Amino acid sequence: MKFIYQDLLNLLKEKPSKESLSKKLFQLGHEHEIDGDIFDIEITPNRGDCLSLIGLTRDLNNFYQSDDPYEIYDADIEILEFDFKNLAFKSCPKISFLEIEIDENISPYKAYLENYFSKLGNNKTNFFTDISNYISYERGQPTHCFDRESITNDLTFNNRSCGENFKTLLGNEIKLEGKNCVFAIDDEIVSLAGVMGGESTACSTNTRKVLVECAYFNPEDIIGKAVKYNLKSDAAHKFERGVDIASQEIVLRRFVSIVQDHASIKSLRMNSFVGNKIKERYLPIETERINKILGTKLTTDEYVNYLAGLGFEIKDKIKIPSFRHDINSQNDLSEEIARIVGYDNIKSIPIKLSHNLEKEQYRIHMIEDFFVENGFSEVINFPFTEKEDKKSILIDNPLDSNRKNLRVSLKDSLIENLLFNERRQRDSIKLFEISDIYLNEKNILQEKKLGIIISGRLGHNHEDFSKKLNSNYLNEILNLKNNISVFNIEEIPRENLKTKRKEKIFYTEILVEDIPSEFFKNIKLREGEINFVKYDPVSEFPSSTRDFSFSINNLVEYNSFISHIKDFKDDNLKDFFIFDYYENEKLGEIKVGIRLVFQSPAKTLSDDDIQKSIDKILKPIIDLKGVSIPGLEFK
Amino acid sequence: MSSRDKIEPPVIKKKIGTRHPINQTKDFLLNLLSKNGFQEIQGPEIESEEFNFDMLNIKKSHPARQMHDTFYVENKRRVLRTHTSPVQIRSMLESNPPFAFSSAGKVYRKDDDATHLPMFHQVEGIYVDQGVNFANLKDLINKILFSIFGEQVEIRFRPSYFPFTEPSAEVDILSENGKWLEILGCGIVNPIVLNNCNIDSKKYSGLALGLGIERIAMLKYGVNDIREFYKSNLDFLDQFK
Repeated sequence: MKFIYQDLLNLLKEKPSKESLSKKLFQLGHEHEIDGDIFDIEITPNRGDCLSLIGLTRDLNNFYQSDDPYEIYDADIEILEFDFKNLAFKSCPKISFLEIEIDENISPYKAYLENYFSKLGNNKTNFFTDISNYISYERGQPTHCFDRESITNDLTFNNRSCGENFKTLLGNEIKLEGKNCVFAIDDEIVSLAGVMGGESTACSTNTRKVLVECAYFNPEDIIGKAVKYNLKSDAAHKFERGVDIASQEIVLRRFVSIVQDHASIKSLRMNSFVGNKIKERYLPIETERINKILGTKLTTDEYVNYLAGLGFEIKDKIKIPSFRHDINSQNDLSEEIARIVGYDNIKSIPIKLSHNLEKEQYRIHMIEDFFVENGFSEVINFPFTEKEDKKSILIDNPLDSNRKNLRVSLKDSLIENLLFNERRQRDSIKLFEISDIYLNEKNILQEKKLGIIISGRLGHNHEDFSKKLNSNYLNEILNLKNNISVFNIEEIPRENLKTKRKEKIFYTEILVEDIPSEFFKNIKLREGEINFVKYDPVSEFPSSTRDFSFSINNLVEYNSFISHIKDFKDDNLKDFFIFDYYENEKLGEIKVGIRLVFQSPAKTLSDDDIQKSIDKILKPIIDLKGVSIPGLEFK
Repeated sequence: MSSRDKIEPPVIKKKIGTRHPINQTKDFLLNLLSKNGFQEIQGPEIESEEFNFDMLNIKKSHPARQMHDTFYVENKRRVLRTHTSPVQIRSMLESNPPFAFSSAGKVYRKDDDATHLPMFHQVEGIYVDQGVNFANLKDLINKILFSIFGEQVEIRFRPSYFPFTEPSAEVDILSENGKWLEILGCGIVNPIVLNNCNIDSKKYSGLALGLGIERIAMLKYGVNDIREFYKSNLDFLDQFK
């Protein structure tokens, strides 16, 4: 919620700078940002009482002494004889109405009202609605203005089942569903109570006589309605969090004062309708308990004074203010005390855990370490899928129809991961995932599964480059080496996959609990602390590869050649490796194949860019005596 | 050919793979809690509303329970857990204090935009004993944040609101660019939650804390876009060896 800095100062006896006000707001738990003179404050959902100038400054009282300087109309007001029926006092235990008629002329808005619109960027609507909106900012209590002439018959409030269409005062046509709190005339809904009024009874710039409704609605009956009907409603935001049940008459009297500031009042009447007597709430004074919760040594005087500063009335017990719906226990009071003391001012006290440590289960870590050691990368996938299986668990409210089921296998996710990396020109892919899978059996069945997928080259070194990852490879590392046969390896046909690549894909999936102990015998857990390397953003531009076949006739230079390769460096060089090595002892010649992979983080590299990089990289080795690239004239 | 005996084929370095950076961070945080005396527990990702909400004092009317925030399955009878706290509830029901549990894993919220994902990871800790207080919580949080970010890190505790803790706090650290960054939520376990788990709240009290694993991983590795973690891009994953 946005507040004007000067408006806050007007309600504080001491005038804090923006900086010290900001510090205290954070101390109280009111996270915010400051933009010029505007404090944009994120009020936590339990603190609906702070969603107004009066409420927020009341919370700051312990630091800066708050005040309510606004004029409240205090003369007697005639009783409004009014045909109103409240059919759901449980949903609306208190409601007040003000009927007010003014002369034709309305003066320009006074500064406090004008600033609300100009400085906070709010739109003006009509005189009465503008006051209603402003007063919600000032006092935190929403009001609704009916054009009095449009109330042609009895007005009723009810919390009832609805199925009809309703047109809001903003012109949105919505279809009401389920139970809703509504105001109706002759059974026709004229206002979605606590959320938004209707078009048929809305005020206009011509309205000179209004019926202002000011109520306490039970938060549980308002919650979720604005979201359900896609309505942006400040009133609903406040009613959902709970308004002050004792404030309605004062708010309407303040309404009168604001009207009086701008127009001559011709007539004025008011009435309140209250259900059961509103209960006062109390908690005992328990200083020791508070100190026990916080780990502090506060005196009862300090404790009582802090609470009094927040509006609690204290005699032999603590009376909870009517605006503090969030206070129900000593723990709640301890938070109030801690906020005033400052969380950062409570000294830390070391804890001694009496718990005996147990050795953690390392099975999952061992599996992960085994695959990492063998060059696999671990992936984590979302569980949502379009694909339905007879064992799928269906999500009642999916993000979209492509994500309406929970996956029953890791296979499809891993195939997608493989294809994604192939599209990024990866030619040797080994991935694994360990994840819980949920199946719709008699009861929901939870299974921890391991999925493994491979395709492409066996490796990028000169021994593996021309070999392919295949089922033998998987069978060897998973089954044969461990004298087990639990991993069933399948080939994934490429026909149905949108890909032009030809390399075979192999996959295996197993329940983690089905992996026998033999598998874990030779796995050594990797030790040492995690290394939080700083990550380089991944380039989204294509990579280009260049292969070079070197001939080394002068074997004296061979070792220099190899050490030069280790030092290859260029901004555009993403990767390089020796993919071929052949020694012809008869001719005294060694042939070395090197692949350079280029990719820029900033652009698609042109042939010229790549050539420049190649020249720079290869120059030192070409200069070596007896080293050449047959068939290539090097610059 | 005088150097003939020195000619060796290029050394083949065994290429190792990578554990997912989120799992690496998760284990780092679990180890941290373990060193502070917390025992790891696990639980299901599909939960009852009772364990995910009711037992944690999240009332039926709480916005988090609306269909737009939580994924429901089985005709609204169960939810994809929205936090790892129900794991702690399950263990608390079966344990007598004192105990200290940690739990970590996937959680789900009905969000999908540039900064929110429908699935992310949390790690939580809860410690229940006689006389556990807010000053103890501060000590533990300081220790944990010092271990993650170094002892020079500046820490700020702010009051916040969670239905399952009272008092509740959010904790920020001061970043290099002078801005406060929210790191974790914590608080004194609400006595209602203890009572729900058949633990006498007059005798025992508890502290609890929860961290978003992605948040810590992003800060520690310098990853700016949370979505990078779940693209399964080898160019990305290869960096976390």
